[in-house]
Amino acid sequence: MDISSFPILSLIIFLPLVGAVVVAFIPRRNLGAIRATALAFALATWVVSLWLVLGFLPGREMVASAAGSFQYVQVADWIPLFGIQYKVGADGLSVAMVVLTTTLSWISILASFSPIKERVKEYMISFLVLEVGMLGVFLALDLFLFYIFWEVVLVPMYLIIGIWGGPNRIYATIKFVLYTLVGSLLMLVAILATAFTYQHATGSWVGAFDLERLAGAGFDGTFQVFAFAAFALAFAIKVPMFPFHTWLPDAHVEAPTAGSVILAGVLLKLGAYGFIRFAIPLFPHGAHVFAPLLIALSIIAIIYGAIVALVQPDLKKLVAYSSVSHMGFVTLGIFIFQAQGLQGAILQMVNHGLITGALFLLVGVIYERTHDRTIAKMGGLGAVTPVYSAALGFFVFASVGLPGLAGFVGEFLVFQGAFAFNPWVGVSVTFVMIFAAGYLLWMLQRVCFGQVSEFLAGIGHHLTDMRPTEILTLAPLGALTVVLGLYPALVLDLITGPVKAVLAAVDPAVAMSIGR
Amino acid sequence: MTWSDFTLIAPFAAAVAVAALVILADIVKPGNRHLALGVALAGLVGVGALILWTGQAPGTAFGGMYKVDNLTTFLDTIFVAIAAITCLFAPDYLEPRGLPVAEFAAILIFALGGAMLVAASADLIVLFVGLELMVIPGYLLAGYHKRDALSTEGAIKYFLLGSFSSAIFLFGLAYVWGLTGSTRIADVAARIGEIVAGQATLSPGLAMGLAFLTTGVAFKMAAVPFHYWTPDAYQGSPTPVTGYLSVGPKVGAFAVVLRVFAEALLPLRQEWVIVIFVLAALTMTLGNLVALTQDNVKRMLAYSSIAHTGYMLVGLAAYAAGVLQGLEGLLFYGAAYSFMNLGAFAVIAALQKRPGVSSRLETFAGLGRREPALGLLMVLFLLSLTGIPPTAGFFAKAYVILAAVQAGGWLTALAVIAVLNAAVAAFYYLRVIVYMYMREPTGEPTPIGHGALLRLGLAITAVMTVALGLFPGLILTSVSSAAQAIGVAVAIR
Repeated sequence: MDISSFPILSLIIFLPLVGAVVVAFIPRRNLGAIRATALAFALATWVVSLWLVLGFLPGREMVASAAGSFQYVQVADWIPLFGIQYKVGADGLSVAMVVLTTTLSWISILASFSPIKERVKEYMISFLVLEVGMLGVFLALDLFLFYIFWEVVLVPMYLIIGIWGGPNRIYATIKFVLYTLVGSLLMLVAILATAFTYQHATGSWVGAFDLERLAGAGFDGTFQVFAFAAFALAFAIKVPMFPFHTWLPDAHVEAPTAGSVILAGVLLKLGAYGFIRFAIPLFPHGAHVFAPLLIALSIIAIIYGAIVALVQPDLKKLVAYSSVSHMGFVTLGIFIFQAQGLQGAILQMVNHGLITGALFLLVGVIYERTHDRTIAKMGGLGAVTPVYSAALGFFVFASVGLPGLAGFVGEFLVFQGAFAFNPWVGVSVTFVMIFAAGYLLWMLQRVCFGQVSEFLAGIGHHLTDMRPTEILTLAPLGALTVVLGLYPALVLDLITGPVKAVLAAVDPAVAMSIGR
Repeated sequence: MTWSDFTLIAPFAAAVAVAALVILADIVKPGNRHLALGVALAGLVGVGALILWTGQAPGTAFGGMYKVDNLTTFLDTIFVAIAAITCLFAPDYLEPRGLPVAEFAAILIFALGGAMLVAASADLIVLFVGLELMVIPGYLLAGYHKRDALSTEGAIKYFLLGSFSSAIFLFGLAYVWGLTGSTRIADVAARIGEIVAGQATLSPGLAMGLAFLTTGVAFKMAAVPFHYWTPDAYQGSPTPVTGYLSVGPKVGAFAVVLRVFAEALLPLRQEWVIVIFVLAALTMTLGNLVALTQDNVKRMLAYSSIAHTGYMLVGLAAYAAGVLQGLEGLLFYGAAYSFMNLGAFAVIAALQKRPGVSSRLETFAGLGRREPALGLLMVLFLLSLTGIPPTAGFFAKAYVILAAVQAGGWLTALAVIAVLNAAVAAFYYLRVIVYMYMREPTGEPTPIGHGALLRLGLAITAVMTVALGLFPGLILTSVSSAAQAIGVAVAIR
C-alpha cells in the first residue's frame, strides 16, 4: 500500500477521540478497564505516530512551499462558503512535536494510574480529548481548523487542573483559561482579518484560510504588523513569555502531576510552534518589526526565570520557573532569525518537553509519598531512596545542560546563534547558565544529600523507593535524553526543511547560506 | 383576494388555529395535559411543514401587506423550533407546581403567531400588530406563576416597560408615516431614499422618528441602556418561560429590526450605523460585566442574554456599514443562540423540577457527579455560549466578527470589543462549570426522574448546538438566501 495516500494524520488525531468515546461507555466502577483502555489508545496513537516518522527518512522530502514542505496532506472541504477546509499535513517540525506529544501522553496516562483515584473515567476522557487538541494543532494547515484545535486544548486542561488539582486549583485554572482566551480571541480576529484580506485581494474565498496559500501572499506592511501582534500575543501567553508568564507557576503548582507534565511538555510548545508555523511565515514583515522586542523579552525571561527559580521554596514552582527560563531560550532562538538559533530552539522544544516532563514526574513521585513539596523539609533522600535520587540527579544534570545529554545541544545551538546575532546578547544569556546550574544543583543538594530530614524520617516506611511503574514512565524519557544528547541529528535532520522554509520567509539571504 | 393569499398566510393561520385547538382540547378534556401537549406538538410540526412548503414559492399577499420571502421562512423556522422545544421541556417544571400546561402551550403558540406575522410583514401596521401579538402573551407568561411574588413583580415590570416601548415604537412609526405618506415598507424605503438624496442633513422629523424607533426596538431586544426590565422579568418568571423569553421575543425583536431598519430605513443606514455601533458596544460590555457579579444562574443568564444581543448587533452594524455577511452573521447567531440558550434553560428547568429548588449557583454544586448526563449537557451549552469551538456559539461569534472585520475601520474596533467581551464572559460561564464539577454537592442529593419530552428537548438542543458548530454549512445556504431576500450588497468603503 502506498503509505502517503492513507489518511494517517487523521488517524493519529482522532484515535484518542475514539478512545475517549470507548472509555465513556465503560462502567464507572470498572477502574481497571478504564485505565487500560485509555492507555491502550494512547499507546496505539504513539505507535502510529512512530510509523509517521518513516515518511520523513532522508530522500522522501517533497517540494517546499513558503510555509514548509508538507507530507501526508489530506484536504476536504468543510465550510465551502468561506473556503474553510479540513486540511492536515506534516513536515519535520510537526512530526517532532507529534511524537513528543504522543510519547508524553501515554507516559502521563500511565503515571496517573496511582495518583488519580477519584472520577477516573472523566479524567481519562479529558486526557484523551486533550491529546486530540494538541495533535490537531501540530497538524492543522488551515487557520480555522488550527484555531478550533487550539481552543479544544483549553477545555480539558481547565478540567484537569480544576477537578484533580491542588487546594488552590480553581483560582489557578480560571487564571489559566482567561489568560489563554484573551490572547486566542484576539488571534481569532486576526485570523478572520487575514482571510478576508486574502479574499478581498483575490476576489474569492477559495483558500482564504489555507496556510500554504496565505504564507506566500505577501500582505500589506501595516496589516502584517497588527496581525502579527495579535498572533504573537496569543503565542506569547502560551509559551509563556515574560511578562505574560504569571499564570504558569499557579497552573503548575495546582495541576496534578500528569497535568504538569503535559502542560510543560506540550502546551508550552504550542506557543513556540505557533510562532514558527503560523506567525512568522504569514507575517514576516511583522515578525521583523517585533523581533527586537521579542528578543528583549526572551532575554528577560531567561534571566528572570532563573533568578526567581533560585529562591523558590516549592519544588514544583522551581521547575515551573525554570520552564520560563528555558522557554526564553526557545523564543530567543526563534527571533534572532539565525539557522543555528532556530534549530536550537526547536531542539530545545523537544528537549525541554522530555526533561521538564521527567522533572515534574519526579516531583510527583515524592509528593505522592510525602504530600509535601517544600524543599526545606527534604534532605538526605539519597540514603533512603537511591534509585529516585539517581533519577533526579540524572534529569537535573540534563536540565542544567551537561554535555552528552539532550539539554546541552539545544542550548548550545541557541548560544551559537545568539553570539552570531550580537555578542552582548550571547554573553548575557550564557552567564545565566551559572544561575541554572545554581538553582538546580542547589535543589538537588538540599533534597538528596546530607542527613535525612526530620520530616522525611517521620514518614518512615511509607517513603519507598520508585515503583516499577514509575521507573517505566521515566525510562523512555531518560533513554531519549541520552540518545538526543549523543545523536541530535535525529531531530536536526527532520527539521532542516522547516528551518529553511521559515528563514526563507523572513530573510532569503540567510536561508541560502544553510547547507544541507 | 386570491387563492395564493391563502396559501401564503397558511403557516400563520395554522399557528393561530393550533393555539385555538389546544384551548379546545383543554375544554373538552380539562386537565388532560397529554391531549393538550399532543395537539400542540403535532400542530407545531404541521406549522413547520407548512412554513417550509410556503417557503418554496415566495410572494406577497393581501395587496402587499403580507409577504413571504426567504427571510420569513428562515425566521419562522426558528420561531417554530423555539416554541416546540419550550413545549417539550416546560411540563416537567410546570406540573409539580400545579401550573396548567395546556394554557401555557396555547399562550406560547399565540406568541408564535405574532412573531411569524412580524417576520412576514410588508407593512408597518401589520408589523406593529404582529409585534403586539408576540409580546402580550409574553407578559402573561412572565406572570404565569401568579402566587409567586417575584413572578408577578417581573411580569408587571415587563408589562409596563413593554407597553411604554410599544407606544414609543408606534410614535416613531407615526413620524415615518407622516414624512413618507405610506406604511408599505417598500414605499417607505423608496420615499426615504428620495428625501435623503435631496438633503445634506437629516430632517428633524426623520431624526425624531429614527430615535423613537430605535428606543422602542432597543427595549424589545434588551439592549443597554434599555435593558432594566430584563433581569427582574427573567429571574421572576417560571424557568421555561424565562427560556422562551430569552430567545423568542429576542429573535422576534431582531425580526422587527430587520424589517424596519434593514429594509424600510435602509437609506438612512449612514445615520443608524453609529447608533447601532454604540448600542452594540454598550450592550456587550455592560451585560457581561454585570453578569460577572451574579450568583443566581437565571439572573446571570439574563445579563448574558443582554450581552448576546450586543454580539448580534455587531452583525447589524457590519451590515449597516455595507457588508452583507453582517446580516448573515446576525441570522446565524439568532439560530445558534436560540438552541444553546434554550438548552441551558432546559437544564435549569430540569434541576428545578422539585418546587422550591432555587436557581442559585449552589443548586449546581456537584451536578457533574449527581447527574452526569445533565452536567455534561450544561457544559456543552455553556461552552457554546462562551464561544468555544467546535460549538454553534463559536461559529456564530466568528461569523459576526468576520463581518465586522470585513467592514473595516471603526468596526474592527467593535470586533476587538466583542472578543474581549467573550473572554470576560468565559469567567462567569466557567464558574457554573466550577460549581458543577469542582465543588461538592450541598445536602443530600435526591434523584429526580426526567420526563421523556424533556429528554427529547435536551437532545434536540444539544444536537443542534454541536451540529451547527461542526457543520455550519447545514444552514449557511438558507442563511445567505434569507439575508439576500432583504439585503443589498453595498460596495465596501
